[in-house]
Amino acid sequence: MSGAFFGNTDALRERYNTITPEILAELKAAVGAKNVVAGDPDALESYASDEAGIMFTSMPDAVVKAENTEHVSAVMQLASKYKIPVTPRGAGSGLAGAAVPLCGGIVLSMEKMNRILEIDAINRVAVVEPGVVTNELCKAVAEHGFLYAGYPMSTETSFIAGNVATNAGGGKVIRYGNTRRHILGLEVVIPSGTVLNLGGRIRKDTWGYSLMQLIIGSEGTLGVVTKVIVNLEPKPGKTVNLLAAFPDLDSAVDSVAKVIRTGIPVISCELLDKISVNITTKHVNTPLPYQDKADAFLLIQIEGDSEERLEDGYEKVGNLCLQNGALEVFVAESRTESTAIWNIRQNLAEAMRAYDPYCSLSGDMVVPLSAVPEMVEEIRKAAKERGIAVGILGHIADGNLHPIIFKPESMEPMEWAEYAETFYDDLTSVALRLGGVGSGEHGIGYVKMPIFLHSKTDEELEIMRGIKRSFDPQGILNPGKLLGN
Amino acid sequence: MRVAVLVKQVPATENVKIDETTGTMIREGVEAELNPLDLHAVEEAVRLKERFEGTEVVVISMGPPQAKKAVKAAIAMGCDRGVLLSDRKFAGSDTLATARTLAAGLVHEGGFDLALSGERATDGETGQVGPAVGRILDMSALTFVSEVESVGAGTIVVRRAVEGGHERVEAPLPAMLSVVKEINVPRLCTLGGKIRAKKAEIPVVGAAELTIPEEHLGLAGSPTKVVRVSYPQITRKGKKLSASDDLDTALDAIRGLLADRGAV
Repeated sequence: MSGAFFGNTDALRERYNTITPEILAELKAAVGAKNVVAGDPDALESYASDEAGIMFTSMPDAVVKAENTEHVSAVMQLASKYKIPVTPRGAGSGLAGAAVPLCGGIVLSMEKMNRILEIDAINRVAVVEPGVVTNELCKAVAEHGFLYAGYPMSTETSFIAGNVATNAGGGKVIRYGNTRRHILGLEVVIPSGTVLNLGGRIRKDTWGYSLMQLIIGSEGTLGVVTKVIVNLEPKPGKTVNLLAAFPDLDSAVDSVAKVIRTGIPVISCELLDKISVNITTKHVNTPLPYQDKADAFLLIQIEGDSEERLEDGYEKVGNLCLQNGALEVFVAESRTESTAIWNIRQNLAEAMRAYDPYCSLSGDMVVPLSAVPEMVEEIRKAAKERGIAVGILGHIADGNLHPIIFKPESMEPMEWAEYAETFYDDLTSVALRLGGVGSGEHGIGYVKMPIFLHSKTDEELEIMRGIKRSFDPQGILNPGKLLGN
Repeated sequence: MRVAVLVKQVPATENVKIDETTGTMIREGVEAELNPLDLHAVEEAVRLKERFEGTEVVVISMGPPQAKKAVKAAIAMGCDRGVLLSDRKFAGSDTLATARTLAAGLVHEGGFDLALSGERATDGETGQVGPAVGRILDMSALTFVSEVESVGAGTIVVRRAVEGGHERVEAPLPAMLSVVKEINVPRLCTLGGKIRAKKAEIPVVGAAELTIPEEHLGLAGSPTKVVRVSYPQITRKGKKLSASDDLDTALDAIRGLLADRGAV
């Protein structure tokens, strides 16, 4: 790890001990030798970075693939005893670097704890291990007539506990809220090795400070989630997807507010601008109509409890977009048509990375919907001033924007990584001025840490640090993230 | 030019489930959609309409009354009109009975210069109905069509995807084409198209209106019998070797395995 922006981690590393052969032997004895990876750089490398990008890499000294809560507890006890840093890791699909082992030490991978333990129809919950892929959970509960409403765009890869750690959002937040809304209970191992059982199969609780809510969104800095009780919704009615092509962003944004005010149940409302659409449609080899003329596309999913209401709904929403200047509105009703449309949105990140492996996907600011046009204008202005290309997409109804910026050929990758984050810092300052925040769903990790710390008052930060100390007095859990050290 | 598109409504699922006692597909509780591979036939037909002025595209399906929705989906993409062949007497048709019924449907609609179908339906997976209709009506039956190069002067030139490459075929009209998905990217329906399809009347044609002998219809006209349903066993006899402890031993084991199979 190098580069001034991210600081030198040597000083941070010095606070911790390294894994000696004796500690490694103890670790293997505690969790089984087959669950410990050490001394094999090829095997360790897969755990050295996440989707924040290849510029942000830091090798772990060992990886432990825990099989159960006891393993997690044993690892934390050992780490506490010897003061070894531990970085919990889900699927590594995070975009803020939270799963990167900044100080080496142990990466605690949840990949083997991937069972769906129970689907409880009466209480409408599923009990799952942390390493269950979100989409697998969705599919399993759907067979029982339920919906798990968390829907990060990484649903095909991300783990449920990763969703908890980042309070993941995604494409259905406008209708169902983010991950926090879907978590009813957590089993958490704190750094001392103690197992906490928080929440449960209940939906009401005025029973002291909610430690569970503190864990959600804490990005692996307070405890390691070993079991999750998720809320299940009744399976929704039929859905239809509309794709509206707009000549400019303003008319698209204006349409969003109007569509939501109709009261027609909107499940998703995604914005894709021209650049992001061009790159992705090329990648998935599915050209979109009007792709050359439109500056922005809205992908709107609506729900209806009967075919008639659904038809009525999509006609109203579609006509509203047309009245508001849309060039054309496409309707995808069948599974095949809908998959074709959503394929474009879901492959966006991959397409961007294929187009430019150094592109930065970490922009994640949130502003009030009314401020979206100004935010978009500021993003484009800032990119233009710097002479860099930017694609803008986002969960627009939530005011959550993901500007994606591409590395100019002249810039070196490390210089670019730093440059990209300073660019986002400037944009975050704009978002804060407009009444927003710097991250809606990716989290802070360490990529967004400097601007996060800068944006909060000393008083707020001191309370947060106090919370961190209460859980993790030695600071061994995911050091250098969120609050720093 | 008159162009017909033959379409089928299929369950919208990747996992078609079979009733093991009757040997028929379980359709209850499964959403239905226009056969995804037929979308390419519809798209090609609409493109022909755009290419050749005065072309009429008629979509024809055989199925239960609710299959009207699949016909409407094709109209939403740009077909001019649609017909549903529906009658209790058609129930239980195999590919032969279906082809005979559809062929009679084409005759009922006045005959066509060209008829198109998808390569196969995603439920039955036979790929027989399209070409069978072509043979019954003595049309040129062209399968696995990946490009329509030209149509005119009583002939059609197409490219067919065959093993190892492509075949360029010139055939006399009328012709029945079953198209592969590589032929095009089906268009998305516009809101306008959807509204037009919603308003479209889909006439239902029954057995009485078709010139087809009773004994060729439905289950009675179907020589295919499902005797038994079985599932292929998926077995993987893999052996996992760990190289983390002792690479040389693992490499020796691999050499041994390859030698046993005569690979080295």
